Amino acid sequence: MKRLFASITLIMLVFTMLLGMVSCFGGGGNGGDGGGNGGDGGSSSTDSEGNTIVKIMFHVDKSSTEGQAYQKRINAFNTAYKDQKIKAQAIFKARSAGASGYETELMNNQLEGTLADIITFDAPNTAAYANSELLYDITDLISEEEQNKFFSLNMYEGKLYGLPIQESSAGFFYNKKIFRDAGIDVSAYTAENPWTFEEFKAVCARLKSHGVTAVDMRIDATKDETAPYLLYPFIYAAGGSFVSADGLTAGGYYNSAATAKGFQFIKDLISAEYTSYAIGATDFFTGKVGMYLSSGWTIPDLDNKYRENFASRDDWGLLPYPKDVVAASATGSWSYAITNNHHTDKTAALELLKWMTSPESSEAITNATGMIPARKDVVKNYEAGSPEYTLLKQLEISGKERPVTVAYPTFSTTFNQVIFGLGKGNVSDLLNSAKNTLQDAIDEVKDR
Amino acid sequence: MDKFTQDLPNFRPNKAPVRKNVKEIVYYVVGIILSLIFILPILYMLATSTKGEVAYAESVGTLNMFLPDLAHLGIAFENYKNVLLGYDIWKYALNSFLYAGIVIVINILVNGLAGYVMAKLVFPGKRLLSFLIIFLIVVPVETSIIPLYSIVKIMLGLKQQMSVLGVILPASISIFNIFLFTQFFQNIPKEYEEAARIDGANTLGVFFKVIMPLSKPILATVAVFCFIGVWNDYLWPSMILPSASDGTWPLLPIQTALTTIQSIEGITTGEIMASLVITSIPIFVTYVAAQKYIVQGFGTSGLKM
Amino acid sequence: MIDTSILILGLFLLAFGGFAVYDLATAKRRREVYRVKSTVTAYLMLLPAVLLAFLFVLLPILYSLGYAFTDYYLLKPNDISFVKLENFVEIIEEISEKGMLYNAIKNTLTFVIGVVPLQIGLALLLALFVNRPCFGSKIFKVCFFAPVVISLSVTSFLWLQILAPGEGGLLNSLLGMFGIPPHDWLRDPETAMPCIIVLSAWQGCGYQMLIFLSGLSNIRKDLYEAASLDGASRWHQFWNVTWVGLRSTFVYILITVFIGACRILTQPMLMTGYMSHTVTLSYYMYNSGYTKRLVGESSAVALLMTIFIGGITLIQRRLFREK
Repeated sequence: MKRLFASITLIMLVFTMLLGMVSCFGGGGNGGDGGGNGGDGGSSSTDSEGNTIVKIMFHVDKSSTEGQAYQKRINAFNTAYKDQKIKAQAIFKARSAGASGYETELMNNQLEGTLADIITFDAPNTAAYANSELLYDITDLISEEEQNKFFSLNMYEGKLYGLPIQESSAGFFYNKKIFRDAGIDVSAYTAENPWTFEEFKAVCARLKSHGVTAVDMRIDATKDETAPYLLYPFIYAAGGSFVSADGLTAGGYYNSAATAKGFQFIKDLISAEYTSYAIGATDFFTGKVGMYLSSGWTIPDLDNKYRENFASRDDWGLLPYPKDVVAASATGSWSYAITNNHHTDKTAALELLKWMTSPESSEAITNATGMIPARKDVVKNYEAGSPEYTLLKQLEISGKERPVTVAYPTFSTTFNQVIFGLGKGNVSDLLNSAKNTLQDAIDEVKDR
Repeated sequence: MDKFTQDLPNFRPNKAPVRKNVKEIVYYVVGIILSLIFILPILYMLATSTKGEVAYAESVGTLNMFLPDLAHLGIAFENYKNVLLGYDIWKYALNSFLYAGIVIVINILVNGLAGYVMAKLVFPGKRLLSFLIIFLIVVPVETSIIPLYSIVKIMLGLKQQMSVLGVILPASISIFNIFLFTQFFQNIPKEYEEAARIDGANTLGVFFKVIMPLSKPILATVAVFCFIGVWNDYLWPSMILPSASDGTWPLLPIQTALTTIQSIEGITTGEIMASLVITSIPIFVTYVAAQKYIVQGFGTSGLKM
Repeated sequence: MIDTSILILGLFLLAFGGFAVYDLATAKRRREVYRVKSTVTAYLMLLPAVLLAFLFVLLPILYSLGYAFTDYYLLKPNDISFVKLENFVEIIEEISEKGMLYNAIKNTLTFVIGVVPLQIGLALLLALFVNRPCFGSKIFKVCFFAPVVISLSVTSFLWLQILAPGEGGLLNSLLGMFGIPPHDWLRDPETAMPCIIVLSAWQGCGYQMLIFLSGLSNIRKDLYEAASLDGASRWHQFWNVTWVGLRSTFVYILITVFIGACRILTQPMLMTGYMSHTVTLSYYMYNSGYTKRLVGESSAVALLMTIFIGGITLIQRRLFREK
């Protein structure tokens, strides 16, 4: 008797749980349960004065320099479009540690029906977001002439889904004092005429014989996007790649001979003890390491924070990525995109997008952040040979974006795993396993 | 008794004090070494908060990591001044104190009542609830934050200013605290309640007038852990609360301000550590002040799972 | 969502009612007396807790476990469909192919087996160490608890410096004094998990120390006096008085530490990243749910993990239940 009752109750509990599950996909059908708020019928939202409201969501905190630059441009937009009765509203959601916070926020807004009309997003997510119909196709809304003015575009399957806010690039910061002492002259290696893999190794060898660790390749930074962002150009330079052009196949690309050659180059640097996993994060700044692979964000740090060790730009410089078969360098940016939200009329959103990507906005924002403008027609008068000049030229000549694939986050994971295992592991084994993992992930999400 | 014999060592046999002192010294030496191992992160935090970027970079990986830069006390002062004056940190701290205060009150009332019922009253369906309590302590909750968001925002419609409730209400229920209360109340002898009942108190009266005053240790325990929980919570409030807008008081708690400070361009490691030191102080003060009660709170209950 | 939630609430109440009726029906046999007044009072006093727990604890858990049977993709929250047991089939495949999930299970088991005895043992030793009335012990107690409340980003950075590879690592330079060559602790599959076990035990044991201390304070002092009068050695005193007195505290600690250990996530995430030799079940769930965005798959693992932890917990309760 007791058992009977107990089992009946248990069955009921299980049934309750199953119901939870039913509700999950049941809820999908009427996902607008609580959505569509704001009282708009779907075409656009307006305020009491008849202004069309366009919402734009940024991934930075409002009080940061970057956030304030965005806010200023939004204010200017509102002044300029007063007569046309368009009003932009900025929402700031600082991207928290791990970046999943910002994305969860986006998805929750999508679920609620409160997704902003324009969002900012990290460029490698283009494929996944476009594939999930989160982003609005703007191919025909931005003229070809206008498109050509950008260093990079957020394309997926031949269609345009976003425009970059600003660009970044990376290179090898080097300690000029150490180089002078070791008698190494690198003045010939410029963005226009980069050094080769072999010349790079030769410099490393001379630094090593001078008694310093040659280069911090950041191979220990495999917990986040750092290592993939800084190291993928080596694979492209060696003629390798990661996925097919349509982003759906990893086999034959990730594990190709050319890709292996690129990774082998990094492994050689480890084997020859030019670099290692044991280099401390601050070793370059304390003069223990000759070169340091990093992005443009390190420029202000060197200018301001380490005055005691690097008094002026006579003490440090920036070298481009070395080339092998081709030249390749890192690019990366957050971008703007119009979303596929419940507002079907995108006119106002398009006006705001054009405003935010205009030369004036581009210049104002990059003046605040110190990054490279997304547009070629924003002229920055950098002195030839200066670190900023090298980054900009390098971007123009050899900038190559990270692989476009719907499973991008898994690409990052596999890349990190390869770099992590490079010290002891066999390159082709590592790449085969990376290829399998990435292919599985692509297959799992491509039809979703 | 200990004190008495310490004051009068001559009354003890000759050899004993020496042996006792040696034991004492060994005890303290071992204790200090062990303590150092456990407070290494605090030493590191405090030491780093006194350093400039170069001094910090040079100390990493050496024992200097744990020693303050006493030669440049001006830098330490600068670090703390920048953090305290540069950002409205006190506004966010006040929010956190406010949220924590409300959560503590509701948490104790709601879970205390439930714990009391589970411990002292007899009613049909009790065994199912006891089972549910254990079940809910066991399930992993990593993915439940996604549906929780939908429940708070869509089902209950807690938006804008109301979203403060979305921070307070979920934090106010804790199955684990119900469990702790139940365990504690079970050990309070029946006689106390019966005496009050003879005086004509009802169940609720017994709970407030008899049980609560006897339960200071468990109240302190729950309050401290509620406070630590709310003070350290970061991801959930940053998802649920609207971000600050000009001219209005921010709704966000202290941890979100902390991450914002950490992501500001040009901030030095010393300043970050100074901000961490400042935000750790309330937690330490609470813990040290309440630790006597925490031990009793777990103690008298003789926890049974 | 509101409709289904109300339906779930109805079913929950139905289940509760069923159980209550069963309790009433068997009341006599169990020699239990239910009174109407006390029952009504109980239900009323439980109401706020049940309401909040239903909304903010039970409902989210049921939903997220329910996702296990769907193809929920994080980027398409409005397009979720029922896929029966597909996620579980994939889980079985991944385990049989010895993929990441297989490693996750292996590492989680290693971690649990290593950390549970270590953390409980350390906590007990520390509790015995500070369980004496003197000024120093109070300060030591505060110190031992410190890692529990310090920000994880600080402790993890510190451990990264201690375990840093090469001669620059603090541990390596310490060992270097004894002529032991530097070792890459977190990259070597042999040493990575043990390191994570040690640092987790270090971080958490202060909390269990407090609970042990409270258990110790409950043991009557006259028991020790009686034992020493009987001429029992210190070891016998510990075994026959202290250990017996701590039994229920120990069971409680064992179960809570076990549950916490099964869920380990942040330490491997901050120390190594998503690598096959340190990935754990919770980390696997995090990666498939948020990085790969496959919430359905992640929930399926969560469901299996719940059943596993629940099962072991029940066994532990059976084994150690007081006779």
